[in-house]
Amino acid sequence: MSYLEVSAVNVSFGGLRALNDCNFTIEAGKITCLVGPNGAGKTTIFNVITGFLRADTGAVSFRGEKLAGLSPQEIVDLGIARSFQNLRLFSQLTALDNVLIGIRGQFGETIFGAVLRPFHTVKTQRAERARAMEILEHVGLAAKAGTFVRNLSYGEQKLLTVARLLATGADLLLLDEPASGMSADALEEIIALLKRLKGENKTLLVVEHNTRVVQRIADTVLFLHQGHLMAEGSVEEITSNPALTEIYFGGTI
Amino acid sequence: MDFAFSYIVLALIYILLGLSTNLLVGIVGIFSLSQAAVFGVGAYIVANLTMMSAPLPFFVALAVAGLACLVLNILSTLPSLRVSGHYFVVTSFGIQLLASAIFENWTAGTGGQNGMPGIPAPSLFGAELYTPLAFVSIVLPAVALGCLVFWLVLRSPFGRLLRAIREDELAVASVGKQVLAAKVAAAALAGAFAGVAGGLFAAFMSFIDPTSFNLDASVLLLSMVVIGGARTLLGSIVGPPIVLALPQIITLIDLPTTVAAPMRQLVYGVILIAFMLFRSQGLFGERL
Repeated sequence: MSYLEVSAVNVSFGGLRALNDCNFTIEAGKITCLVGPNGAGKTTIFNVITGFLRADTGAVSFRGEKLAGLSPQEIVDLGIARSFQNLRLFSQLTALDNVLIGIRGQFGETIFGAVLRPFHTVKTQRAERARAMEILEHVGLAAKAGTFVRNLSYGEQKLLTVARLLATGADLLLLDEPASGMSADALEEIIALLKRLKGENKTLLVVEHNTRVVQRIADTVLFLHQGHLMAEGSVEEITSNPALTEIYFGGTI
Repeated sequence: MDFAFSYIVLALIYILLGLSTNLLVGIVGIFSLSQAAVFGVGAYIVANLTMMSAPLPFFVALAVAGLACLVLNILSTLPSLRVSGHYFVVTSFGIQLLASAIFENWTAGTGGQNGMPGIPAPSLFGAELYTPLAFVSIVLPAVALGCLVFWLVLRSPFGRLLRAIREDELAVASVGKQVLAAKVAAAALAGAFAGVAGGLFAAFMSFIDPTSFNLDASVLLLSMVVIGGARTLLGSIVGPPIVLALPQIITLIDLPTTVAAPMRQLVYGVILIAFMLFRSQGLFGERL
């Protein structure tokens, strides 16, 4: 049984086939990088796995369980969470509050708990805050806990999206371009963080354009082209295949 | 003196309405133009239930109004779960027009354009609360309770979730939180506040007609929240008394009556525009 299995998934937007008989599996505890030119269907497959988009045909299963028809919330319950290319942080909340939104099963997050048992809410929030602080420390943002997102640097915001994902407690993290647009220093930080997460039994599926980043983190590379898995292998196998580099760096196929 | 207390009672009732509007519009971001309709339903329910041949006690009628408006507000904000942002503004505009049409034409239930006179004053421990001062004794606790609930919600994890929902529903769903349940709960609370405010208004005024619950009234409620300040307790408390006092303050300017009426509208309009241009967060609020 594969950890995550995508089998024969098809998605069309009008006349455009975003995913075309897409098949792949990923292994637990590994970093799998999803590469391919723009429009290859990388974000679309994220949307299908996390329940934001329904596949026309085909199936996705996680630890042997079919995900078809589950809502995004139910899929997070099963242990899959995703980040967005455009971050989608809550800009008017602090870094700490952004992480707290990710922590599940908090007392006082329903109206009854909040209004009828305010003291219990305050008490339990202390523990939740401590947990959120730990997560911020883990990604190196503890000093920015009280800072509003709009005042964080882009690199810090990217780290914060990972922190919010970690707060959900999910085991499989889908990261959409976690390293794009970052300075050299910030890049080192995020690469170190992703490697650390792998050491902590998280499984990562990462969409990434920067080949240098892919070289340093990927255990396996999946090459997607026109909604279809074209090749799968180690970084060396993929980069040494002239047909693939042709597609990736501006071929005419 | 009675005039001052009348003003205080009305201001308190509108503070409760302001809390309701601020919760829905400011905190959750459901931009509703039909808050006055919910307010009106609360008022008409209390009027009808306390004027039946076998009238219900005021506080029972008030509870019924609160509950009914709780349900009504869930129903009237349900479209916001499907259509977002500007589209919901138009939807709620439609809901408000629909409600106004019913208030104005359903003579048996609302008295139509003529309204409903003779709504009895509530009694507390056997004493009838005829004077505005006596009425303060029931409005003040109700508003205080409303403020407490609003404050508890604002500072709780539930309030944090609502703020996050206002910014980005999709992001909230992506971390596994139930967006729908939170929005429905907030709408229900806002509805209960507006319904109770309506019931208090009916009993205090003893006469109600559709002009208190029309589109103008909805817009007035929004401007109270905007001027006081969105998303804060202080803003909700400060806005209504100021907006209610504005017409009175403007009458202090010595003008012939033929000029005074249009001038009042003019000054009122200028104040609203000035706030939006120079202090869009209101006096004590945050930017919408």
